[in-house]
This record gives sequence, C-alpha cells and structure tokens, in this order.
Amino acid sequence: MTKTISEFTILDHTADLGVDITGSSLMDLFENAGRTLLHLMFRVKPVKKADLIRISISGNDLADLMNKWLSEILYLYAGENLIVTGINIDSLSPASLNATLKTSPFNPKFHKIIREIKAVTYHQIAVTNKNGIWTARVIFDL
Amino acid sequence: MEIELKEIDKNRWLIPKKGDMRVPGIVFSNHQLIKDLRNDQSLLQVVNVATLPGIVKQSLAMPDIHWGYGFPIGGVAAFQMKEGIISPGGVGYDINCGCRLMTTSLKANEIRPYVKDLISALFKNIPAGVGSEGAIHLSKHDEAKVALEGASWAVKKGFGQTEDLERTEDYGALDGADPSILSDRAVKRGLDQLGTLGSGNHFIELQVVDHVYDYWTADRFNLFEGQTTILIHSGSRGFGHQICDDFLKEMTAESSLTGLQLPDRQLVCTPLTSDLGKRYLSAMACAANYAWANRQILMHLAQETLITALSISPNELDMKLLYDVCHNIAKKELHNLDGQDTMLCVHRKGATRSLPPGHPVLPRIYKDTGQPVLIPGDMGTYSYVLAGAQGAMELSFGSSCHGAGRSLSRSKAVKMAKGRSIHRELEDKGIIVQSRGKLTLKEEMPEAYKDVSQVVEVVHEAGLAKKVARLRPLGVIKG
Repeated sequence: MTKTISEFTILDHTADLGVDITGSSLMDLFENAGRTLLHLMFRVKPVKKADLIRISISGNDLADLMNKWLSEILYLYAGENLIVTGINIDSLSPASLNATLKTSPFNPKFHKIIREIKAVTYHQIAVTNKNGIWTARVIFDL
Repeated sequence: MEIELKEIDKNRWLIPKKGDMRVPGIVFSNHQLIKDLRNDQSLLQVVNVATLPGIVKQSLAMPDIHWGYGFPIGGVAAFQMKEGIISPGGVGYDINCGCRLMTTSLKANEIRPYVKDLISALFKNIPAGVGSEGAIHLSKHDEAKVALEGASWAVKKGFGQTEDLERTEDYGALDGADPSILSDRAVKRGLDQLGTLGSGNHFIELQVVDHVYDYWTADRFNLFEGQTTILIHSGSRGFGHQICDDFLKEMTAESSLTGLQLPDRQLVCTPLTSDLGKRYLSAMACAANYAWANRQILMHLAQETLITALSISPNELDMKLLYDVCHNIAKKELHNLDGQDTMLCVHRKGATRSLPPGHPVLPRIYKDTGQPVLIPGDMGTYSYVLAGAQGAMELSFGSSCHGAGRSLSRSKAVKMAKGRSIHRELEDKGIIVQSRGKLTLKEEMPEAYKDVSQVVEVVHEAGLAKKVARLRPLGVIKG
C-alpha cells in the first residue's frame, strides 16, 4: 500500500517512514530527495533573508552519498537549529557532492513542524537507474 | 521472501538455519501474534541478524517483534567477544531508550478528580516534543561528567536520592564511557536536552495498579491494587542519535576494507576486538549514561510537579523508584554457553533485560524476586510489571519483550484515525492525554499496537519473566 505525493512515494514501514524518490537526472534526484525530507518535516513560509551554507560530502557509493546528504540537512536542523529553505547542488559524482543551501534560523512563526525525523537509516537504502529514471529508496527513523 | 517457520511449542517458533545463516532463528510468539509478522519484513530481519559473524546459539525475537531497520525491533543477539561483532544498528539510534516506574502512596480514587490538572501540570513543566530543550544547560565539562557518571551525576545535583541508583539497571552508569572520543556534533546536541522527554512514542503516564497477579512479589516491589504509579519512557535524545549516526557512517566507510557482505547496510558492524568497536562501545556508554541521567531528572520533575499540583508534602506523595530498565543497548554479560560461563556481547534492540532471582548482578533489594521488568503498552490499554525468571537465562540471554510492539505503520494509523478524535475517545475511556506533535496521537493510537496482554502472556508462559501486576493509564503526556 503506497501513497503518491508529486515526485516521491511514501512506503508503509511498521515503525518508521520510507520513501521512494524519483528524478530525471542524478542531480535532480538528490535535489528532490533533499526537498522531500524538508517537505516531510516542515511547512515553511517564504522568508526574504537567507544565509548561504556550502557543504561538501563524500561517500563510498551513491547510496552512502544519499544517506550522508540527507543526514547533513537533518543535522542542520537538529544540531544548528537551521531550516534549509533552498537547495542547489553545485557538483555531483558517485563519490562526492557539493551543494549550496539557503538556510534560516528555526522560527515557529515561519516554520511549522509536521513531524520529527530523527535519522536517515541505511536500511534498504538504494539509488538506481531504470530506463533513464533515477530512483532512491530511503527509510527514516522517527 | 517467504521465511520458513516451524512451531516448537505454543510460544516458540523456529526459523531453520539456511543459506548464509550461521545460527537458526527463534521467535517467541503465539498463533495470534505470529499472523501479523507475515505482513512485514521483521522475520527476514531475524534471518539477516543470524548471518552476522560470531553470533551464538540463535538470532532471537521477542513477542513484540516488528519491522525495524537492520535488527528487528524486539531482536536479541549475543556475540562471542573474540570472533564477534558490535553493530550500532543492533542497539538503535536512541541508545538506552528505556522505562522508569515510580510508585506512590496515593490511591488512584483519591486523585481521580485531579487527573486533568495533574496531566496539564506535567505537560507544562516537562519539556516534550521535537527538539525540546530543558531548563538544564550543560557546559561541555558537565556534559562529559554526565556521560561518565550517568544517573549518579543527576543525584549529586539534587535530582533524586542515592537509593535510586540501586533501583536502576547497572546502577545508572555503564563502565567504559569515554567522552573525549565524541564528535563535536554529538557534544553540541547533548548540551541542552537533559531533562526533556522527546517526541514520538516517548511519554510520561499516570497509572493505577489495576490487578496484582503475584502478591508476594508485588509486596516486595511496593505495589498494591488501587495504587497510583508513574511510568516514564524516554532515552538519550539527540545526543544518542548523533553518536549512533556518527559510528554507522564511520563503520560504513571502513566496511569496504573488511569485505564482509551484509544483507542490509544498516547491519554494518565491526569486530568487538577492533579499535573502532571499542570506541563505539565507549561512545555508546556515554549515551546510555546520558539517558539514565535524563530519566533520573524527568522523575524528579514529575515528583515536584505532583507535589505542587496536589499541594501535598513529599512524604504524603512518597514517590519511590521501583526500577529503571533500558531496552536499546549492547552489553558484555556472562552467559552459559555449552556448559561454560562465557562473556558475550548481548545486543538488545527493543528488548528488556530479565534477570532471575539470585542472579549475581542484581542489587540486594531484588535478589529474592528477580529484576523488575517494565513493559509499557499503548496509551489506551495496559502496562505490565513482571519479574525476571530463570527461563530467560536458558532461552533468551536474560531478555524479555519491551512493549506491545507496533502492528500498524504510522501512515496507516493516521489514515485509520482520519475524522476521529483520539483525544476524545481516550477521554471517554477515562484517560486524559496531552501531546505536542500534531500527528502524535493518531500515530500512537491504541489500534496501532499489538495486544500487549498477549505479548506479556507469551513472555510469562515461555518462562522469560513472570507477571506481577497490571497498570491501567489514567493520563498521559506525549511529545
């Protein structure tokens, strides 16, 4: 049983929350994955002022890279109290990712929390390409 | 993938050793509960754990087993110290998530008119919910002390009594903690979250002792019918999560060097004898100790709140800690293996230690009774107090279940709750609930869980622990 919301699909997982995310390119997939995570966690009103943060991540493979990319967005909220409001992936290879993120400090006036996602797990994590469509499966710890 | 299950007796099922499995699997369950397991991937997770190096006897699942990540929730596995591994996924993100039960001298019928006010007061005074911060702001120096000393740090700061420590598993502190190895991120996330409940399935519940099964043990546990009790369920907050995440990533980075093929990347692990394995255990101990300090402080906050809200003295409330147990942990423990006392590393991922009477690790006060085993149910039915039994040492590396166990996914639960007021439904049953998260009550509604009474019955009949008392909720605060 699944429920589709634009470019991601929520999977039924007994204890936690899984999603299948799609993208027309690898870069598109990683951007969609970041946006999906934010969509699952927050509703954000437009804020004029945003700070830019540049991040660089390396991984063993695309699945590891996906885990670390989403974990980084999650940490910015959990550890730095920053909400990511915009994502631009500057460069991407199977082993590394560089991105510029628009962020603003969490403010309950502008940021409504939908649910807490506590971690990005490696359980069943996969990044695949079938007939030119990129797909990622990610299960989050709630 | 269809997993073969063979019934051993009415409470145990065998998963025969096949393929890459190093040992067979054993699932503690009955005919009713086992049906649900066919609908998720938890049995496959029991099989996956059975493939890990150094596992001994069996890959075990308690009757509250459900689909987790890596290990099933309700999974227990023991590993040899020399050939075996340690897996952060076999402990879980919320390191030392656990329960703490307090007794009082108050009779539930005396406080019933005030339950709404008491729940409001607890909700106001105890920080809960996403990213909640407490009144305690630690310096890095003090955080390191919390990580080393656990519950005793909190007691020294005035949160509770020294005698609480012997009523806490491992006296509220694991040996071997080393805060110097923690990442800056873990340190930062621990500074402001001590004394906070968290979100999701974490709660504080006001309860009444509804039924006593074993009067002799109940008397020694200071439990009597009609008594008011308070149950806390919380863990190591963002501190523990960050530690787990840090080591999962470090072990993943190293996994390409070991060549170990894993059926699930969340099972990533490292030899217990490796430097990385030793560092994980030291970091895990820091988080476990933080969690014990956290629950010690939460208990104190609950006590202060009830005293103020009821305008009574501490003596009139007479709140005493019954026991504090952890259910997400890996521990070095002595177990009988082929007739020899052998040191093993026991992973309990959603499972509670259950030591029988006379076990040398037990504190003096519980030597005759066995360890109190605390089993929270869902917020609409019951929780249970059990006592550790000898069967656990023979069948489950001294382990029991840890709760009811989910039967519905959160999304299914939310869908099922559409158009319903769970808050009102519970109030109609005489249970007052307050929660921070908008989705929490729907995700956590009673139908989302297995029947805790059946889960406990399996544990009792299998001889892993014996029923002492049943507790019914009066009111709950959730994150």
